[in-house]
Amino acid sequence: MDSGNDEALDIIITNVVATFRTRCHLNLRTIALEGINVIYKPEDGKVLMKLRKPKITASIWSSGKIICTGATSEDQAKVGARRLARCLQKLGFKVRFSAFKVVNVLAVCSMPFAIHLIDFTKNNRPIASYEPELHPAVTYRIKHLRATCQIFSTGSLTITGPNVQNVATAVEQVYPLLYECQKPLRKAEGVSRE
Amino acid sequence: MASTSRKDGLTLPRVTCPNHPEAILVEDYRAGDMICPECGLVVGDRVIDVGSEWRTFSNEKALKDPSRVGDAQNPLLNGGDLTTMISKGTGAASFDEFGNSKYQNRRTMSSSDRAMLNAFKEISTMADRINLPRNIIDRTNNLFKQVYEQKSLKGRANDAIASACLYIACRQEGVPRTFKEICAVSRISKKEIGRCFKLILKALETSVDLITTGDFMSRFCSNLGLPKQVQMAATFIARKAVELDLVPGRSPISVAAAAIYMASQASAEKKTQKEIGDIAGVADISSLTHQSTSCPSCEEKLPKVVFFCCT
Repeated sequence: MDSGNDEALDIIITNVVATFRTRCHLNLRTIALEGINVIYKPEDGKVLMKLRKPKITASIWSSGKIICTGATSEDQAKVGARRLARCLQKLGFKVRFSAFKVVNVLAVCSMPFAIHLIDFTKNNRPIASYEPELHPAVTYRIKHLRATCQIFSTGSLTITGPNVQNVATAVEQVYPLLYECQKPLRKAEGVSRE
Repeated sequence: MASTSRKDGLTLPRVTCPNHPEAILVEDYRAGDMICPECGLVVGDRVIDVGSEWRTFSNEKALKDPSRVGDAQNPLLNGGDLTTMISKGTGAASFDEFGNSKYQNRRTMSSSDRAMLNAFKEISTMADRINLPRNIIDRTNNLFKQVYEQKSLKGRANDAIASACLYIACRQEGVPRTFKEICAVSRISKKEIGRCFKLILKALETSVDLITTGDFMSRFCSNLGLPKQVQMAATFIARKAVELDLVPGRSPISVAAAAIYMASQASAEKKTQKEIGDIAGVADISSLTHQSTSCPSCEEKLPKVVFFCCT
């Protein structure tokens, strides 16, 4: 999970979203009444089930489709999904665990330097988009990786992509571009944000 | 007068001045002439005028004006407006037995363009509210037409697309308006305009320049009634603040508002934070001014500001 540079950059995965199917119709009322740690949302037609470990929130639909969010790694997502399916099995549904897919991975990364957003946008014109009125970060979309980076002026990045590998590649791609547009380190007493 | 070349029969006849064949002719709309700019010779006459209708004002009893030819063509934006509309009749014969008018329907004119014409009207209304000049309106119309023909944003409300086109046109002309200003004249939320803005940029594959603090100075200062020196001082403060990076990660609008506040406080014309916040659409100016002043390099700036205000 490091970018191949002199100092290793910590890419911390904060959220992994995965979907899977149970291949059977689920009765949401039963789940809502008999399940533990569930929230029933009839207006959306789904049940939210929260697992303690791994810390995962799952949206369960009556068609059998389930979306798991909140995991911190792909393996954790899979374990959590399986645990969830086991929970549903214990409630009496004929669950078959199938079509597990990690849909989205959100990671944060922090550069050791601050970034000059205006220079960065000018250098990377069509790919980078910066609208200070709308959002304080530059949005850098890498098309072939299907990854989006949001770059803040403090040097923090948030990267979203379809899997962890893409996210890591995205950071490696973006790092040299950011390195060029860094702000020189200022005297610490000068810049105080109260 | 007119020279035609018909050697191969395919070249269209082109009017050129006999003395200056290379000169590009100037059209005189009022007389319908083509005039050579070099020698002033009238080369072509009776040129068809596609401007608005010609009316005769010769006699007072001009109830019937037989030379009316119709509305001005808008060739860039319409698909050729050659439909006929039936207006409400005035005489007795135009009403049938029940008192309803015959020929009730005005024939709908080119329904495919009806939405576009509506949008143009909306754009014109919005632009009128903030007194935008004709060139921006034309640019907006062109952008809207391009987006509309592409159909990639078909599901979005036309008003939202129109507002976003207006925003882009102002940016492209070098006189950006903030999203909040466009919001003020449109019924669409800032969020939706922002979304449409990004979608349009992607659809038309264009990009716009980044906004700077200087773009808004003259407008905000005039609205507040601040004299020129205060405006110059504020521009200077804002530019320095961005150069020295005293306000990282802040929108240029906020920086501009804070700079105006500082400049106005340092001068005779003091404006309250609330007034400036109202004009600029900025919520909290105080924290921004505090942040930018709590740094050593501001000491070098302020003397220059005072210098500006005194001169």
